[in-house]
Amino acid sequence: MKHFLEVFMHIIFLISACISILAVALICIFLFANGIPPMFEIGLGEFLGGTLWKPTNLIFGIFPMILGSIVVTLGALVVGVPAGIFCAIFMAFFCPKKLYRVLKPAVNLLAGIPSIVYGFFGLMVLVPLSQEIFGGGGKGILTASVLLGIMILPTIIGVCESSLRAVPTQYYEGALALGDTHEKSIFRTVLPAAKSGIMAAVILGVGRAVGETMAVVMVAGNQPILPQGLLMGVRTLTSNIVLEMGYAQDLHREALIATGVVLFFFILIINMVFFLVQRRKEK
Amino acid sequence: MKKYLALALAAVLTLGALSGCGSSSAENEGTEENSTQQEQEEESTQLSGAISVISREEGSGTRGAFVELMGIEEEDADGNTMDMTTQMAEITSSTAVMMTTVAGNTAAIGYISLGSLDDSVKAVTVDGAEASVDAIKDGSYKVSRPFNIATMGDVSDAAADFIAFIMSDEGQAVVEENGYISNGSTGAFAGTNPTGSVTVAGSSSVSPVMEKLKEAYEAVNPNVTIEIQTNDSTTGMTSTMEGICEIGMASRELKDSELEAGLTPQVIALDGIAVIVNNENPISDLTSTQIKDIFSGNVTDWSEVQ
Repeated sequence: MKHFLEVFMHIIFLISACISILAVALICIFLFANGIPPMFEIGLGEFLGGTLWKPTNLIFGIFPMILGSIVVTLGALVVGVPAGIFCAIFMAFFCPKKLYRVLKPAVNLLAGIPSIVYGFFGLMVLVPLSQEIFGGGGKGILTASVLLGIMILPTIIGVCESSLRAVPTQYYEGALALGDTHEKSIFRTVLPAAKSGIMAAVILGVGRAVGETMAVVMVAGNQPILPQGLLMGVRTLTSNIVLEMGYAQDLHREALIATGVVLFFFILIINMVFFLVQRRKEK
Repeated sequence: MKKYLALALAAVLTLGALSGCGSSSAENEGTEENSTQQEQEEESTQLSGAISVISREEGSGTRGAFVELMGIEEEDADGNTMDMTTQMAEITSSTAVMMTTVAGNTAAIGYISLGSLDDSVKAVTVDGAEASVDAIKDGSYKVSRPFNIATMGDVSDAAADFIAFIMSDEGQAVVEENGYISNGSTGAFAGTNPTGSVTVAGSSSVSPVMEKLKEAYEAVNPNVTIEIQTNDSTTGMTSTMEGICEIGMASRELKDSELEAGLTPQVIALDGIAVIVNNENPISDLTSTQIKDIFSGNVTDWSEVQ
């Protein structure tokens, strides 16, 4: 009887594992079967390199969106990475226990806020703020970057903190024993030792920023033009899909799925870099 | 304690330096803009500065109707109509975001369904005609479009009764109460009191008024349950063709391909499109030519439209 139960549970676990693999496989098949043909129909160069997006006139150039995604993500990193790393260092080494009990749940809560709520926060708080400080419409690369920077904080803080804590205490104690101060041992000894973990945190942050949709749609302005300045509007790959998917038909719809394929490659590259970094860490 | 203080200071400084790097060029732009604005303000008290054009996403029923009515389109060599809305236009994905954006930006201009208009923004008059139900009825306000419902072949008794209610005096009264324009009614409602359920699906512009019609109808005949699914005009029409819903809603005229597929449209109301600006904008009248120029990007500064 016990033996039967064991075999039965084995099968359950196997099925569970298969489901997730099947899901990935199905998504890949759907994406490539629907997304690759329109790319060639439009012309690969024209699709990836074209700077004009006028779907009702069958002009599909997603270069502005590719650039838009990259620029907004870089902006988010400029805002989020330093703040995230310093916050993680503070939480791991400097934080009084009482404060930690508040800070840790607060950071976790930040991760749990739905992105549409972030979008509303951006629209009601950050956009008017940007209008007041810089003038203009308020929506654009800067606003989107700041908002995304806040959104990737919990990812970066979480992974950074655990990698900092994973550094053997001997490193820190050794540095202290050799005469370094508390700060110097952390910044010169523990931080470099956790480098690959911090890299992983940054890459995960990039993944979140590239894939973020609803919040960006609300604060980026969404003009399908090449980014022309920090205050100018920008459209990312994700917002291009979500803006027009409801209406799109025929080649327009296929072009949006093809946009999804490009996004998929972005994420694939990010994941591969993540694995490489992780492997180096293991060595 | 000193250590904490030093670290906190260092963190603040680093952050400050980093954010400074990130936004230095933006700050320059900002100050330049401010100084030019100040110069212009000294010259006149009228509004000036770059116009923020706000549009809806390509494919939206509201955008399609607006572009067509204002003539912001051109035919290319092959006879296809090109949407000429400027590429610099900010794109919002819903009426709510459009209104929040215009309400928060003094230089913005956008457009929404007349039924959604409230005090947070200001509707301008077009060619001297006010955006109101009366002006649309007498034909002086030209920016209006039909709200259609569409059915495929024969419908159930419940659906037929609901449509009869929409088109009756009572139904059209609900339409008028909610700021839309009645397209004439078929007299008092004589219900057949059927039972059953009806699914209605389609445009998010039509669904608010459809919700009110549903409430009014269910008060008259509680035996029928009506389910409203909100997505968009195109999806509504497709669902009706495929039999997923009985009644489809569209905030635009039906396309030829949809009529060929066998859909029967019926106009349930007319809706104006209000051209909206910020409440602080002194401009209250624009001609249709000016609106066309603004949205096609030929006019980019408020000083040019006064």
